[in-house]
Amino acid sequence: MDIGTGLALVGAGIAVGVAGLGTGLAQGQVGAAAVGATAEDPKMFGKGLILMVLPETIVIFGFVVAILLWIS
Amino acid sequence: MLRPEEMTRSVVVGSIDSLSVTIECLYELGVLHLIDFTAQDQDFRIGQPLPQASDASQKLLKLRSMIRSLDIEKHKPADKMPVKDIKRRLEQALVTLDQNVSSKSEARQKIQTLIREKEADIRALEPIASFGIPVENYEGFDNITSFVGVCKRDPTAAIASKIPESETLIAAGKSDAIVAVFVRNEDRAEAVRILSEHEFQEIKLPKLKGDPSALLDRLRAEIKGLEADLARTVKDIEAIRKKFADFIVSSEEDLSIEVLKAETPLRIATTANSFVIDGWIPTARVQEIQTALDTLCCGLAFVETIPPEKDDEPPVELKNPRPVKPFEFFMNLVSTPKYDEIDPTLILFITFPLFFGFMVGDLGFGVGLALLGALIRWKFKAYPDAVKLGSIIVAGGVIASVFGLIVFAEAFGIPFHPPEESPDEYSWASVVDIPIHPMLEKMYDIKEMLAISFVAGWIHLSLGFAFGFINHVHHSKKHAIAKVAWFVLLLGLFEEMMFFVGDATATSGFVNSTVFAIFPDAAFSFSGIGVSISAVVLMVVGVALLPLTEGPLVLTEVIGVFTNLISYARLAALAIGKGGMAFAFNTMLLPTVFESGNILISALALVGLVVSQLFFVFFLGSLSAGIQAIRLNYVEFFIKFFEGGGTDFSPLKYERKYSVAKE
Repeated sequence: MDIGTGLALVGAGIAVGVAGLGTGLAQGQVGAAAVGATAEDPKMFGKGLILMVLPETIVIFGFVVAILLWIS
Repeated sequence: MLRPEEMTRSVVVGSIDSLSVTIECLYELGVLHLIDFTAQDQDFRIGQPLPQASDASQKLLKLRSMIRSLDIEKHKPADKMPVKDIKRRLEQALVTLDQNVSSKSEARQKIQTLIREKEADIRALEPIASFGIPVENYEGFDNITSFVGVCKRDPTAAIASKIPESETLIAAGKSDAIVAVFVRNEDRAEAVRILSEHEFQEIKLPKLKGDPSALLDRLRAEIKGLEADLARTVKDIEAIRKKFADFIVSSEEDLSIEVLKAETPLRIATTANSFVIDGWIPTARVQEIQTALDTLCCGLAFVETIPPEKDDEPPVELKNPRPVKPFEFFMNLVSTPKYDEIDPTLILFITFPLFFGFMVGDLGFGVGLALLGALIRWKFKAYPDAVKLGSIIVAGGVIASVFGLIVFAEAFGIPFHPPEESPDEYSWASVVDIPIHPMLEKMYDIKEMLAISFVAGWIHLSLGFAFGFINHVHHSKKHAIAKVAWFVLLLGLFEEMMFFVGDATATSGFVNSTVFAIFPDAAFSFSGIGVSISAVVLMVVGVALLPLTEGPLVLTEVIGVFTNLISYARLAALAIGKGGMAFAFNTMLLPTVFESGNILISALALVGLVVSQLFFVFFLGSLSAGIQAIRLNYVEFFIKFFEGGGTDFSPLKYERKYSVAKE
């Protein structure tokens, strides 16, 4: 395995890892607020869930980038 | 399917004499969603409650207070009581029961209060018993002030030195000292100061007379007597509860229904001689009401359908076939669709199990989930929502097993046969030879998995735009055209993605040779990336149409379509992630299980494997697969067309759980 491939794999790892961190930071805040809203009105569960999972797309981007790096 | 039950705006009109029969009839049928009458004028007034309302309410009040006194709020009668029996017994029973229950529960309360008071006296007297001074002698002097209480530390020496003319009695308490201090009135302030330095806390002495020890004996004897009384009363109440709980709960239900019916006129319009009940009736059942009214009211009341007004919002009753019904659970979590909106439950019924099955994709875990779902359905059959959730899990589990069996050929994270890329991997082949080879290797056919995910996303999103078009086409052509623009933009984007990967995967090859076969092959290269001209044309047309229909600001959302499509990569990501996790545990622990040579270590490794597979792969994996599967529907799909905010169809009706109207 040459250095270039190694660096690409490191890059793939960073892509998923850092994107995951970003998602975690965003989701932590949204989740706390969503749980609060649901506690006040259980009907907010669906809306809370939607808002809660929105930032997940960030980590999916990370994943896609990692896959592209890995398979290229 | 896709559309809620069709509703017809109807008015039930009749002579005021037939009002109570009509109300009875409507509640029996349970098909009329009443629109409350509020706009009173000279002709129409809000109706008066039926004559039996006030009597029934009073009785209901009594019964409810009895239910509280007897503590039978949660009591569930074993048998349903005929309403005839309830009516026959109620009058008499209420008189006797009311007296009995209220006098007994009052007595119980009185005795409990007395016991509490006497116990408080005992607590106050116990510390000073050893001083041997009659209780009345602690107070009531002209020139002497007394302090009785507990100190954290012994204040005797301090008081003796500062206030020579004083008397201090002391006894050891549990962790402190019990003191009684007598001083002249003029030394009072000084005594307070010293005592507070020693953290003095006063004991409030009861207004009793005599020697504390004798008083204590007397109080204890009295409490014993009271406790015997209390036991007797509680036993009496228990006897009443045993004998009448069923009757009280059943009658409460019957009376609640009676009050509900009797107060219905408060929601409808009446004149001196007639009434008008306005509401919505499922179109299919209008005739049923007419027939029932004809029979019961002898032509004094009838139904008339009226054309709906423009801004009328009919109530929504979702109409789905039986297998699809459980998925209405997901709709309840968000919002009821509006009457003229498409009800996407059917699409949830198709996509949720498919997405979920693809992500879990394992025969063993799939069967486990199906069993878990069946268990939930069976264990919680009293809770409709739990039954629905159970059915959803069963559906997801079954599809996951099918994917596991046919597509991925694996069970419990272990493949049926070792993959070509890693022939040394553990597989079921060493235990049993299953003649099924995977169509897809989760861990190795990653491009293929991604391509499948994007195709699923494209179909799902396109369907969302199509629904959006249908929802808007009747009242806003502009918005409907915008959905077409989004659809075209998405198609262009998807074509470019498929063009870019070409025939790199079987899926993209298939899509290019079928869906995009009709598009011209013309392409150019832009900084090394192949760009299909027809894709660019589609995207340009889509983007150009958007600002014309939804205003220029909508252009900021164009990138969102790309995000939406990429979002479906989670289907592949979760499937691969779960496969990877199972693979990791298997690689770490299976060699230890089979090759350690030590039975104890093998057993420990096996336990570790089962626990980790169960917790991480089965529970966490299924949970996240479920959340992602529903999220793709809620976020990516619903936002394309769904507004929600419809009114649930809630007809006039009641449910008898503990009473039966007819024998």
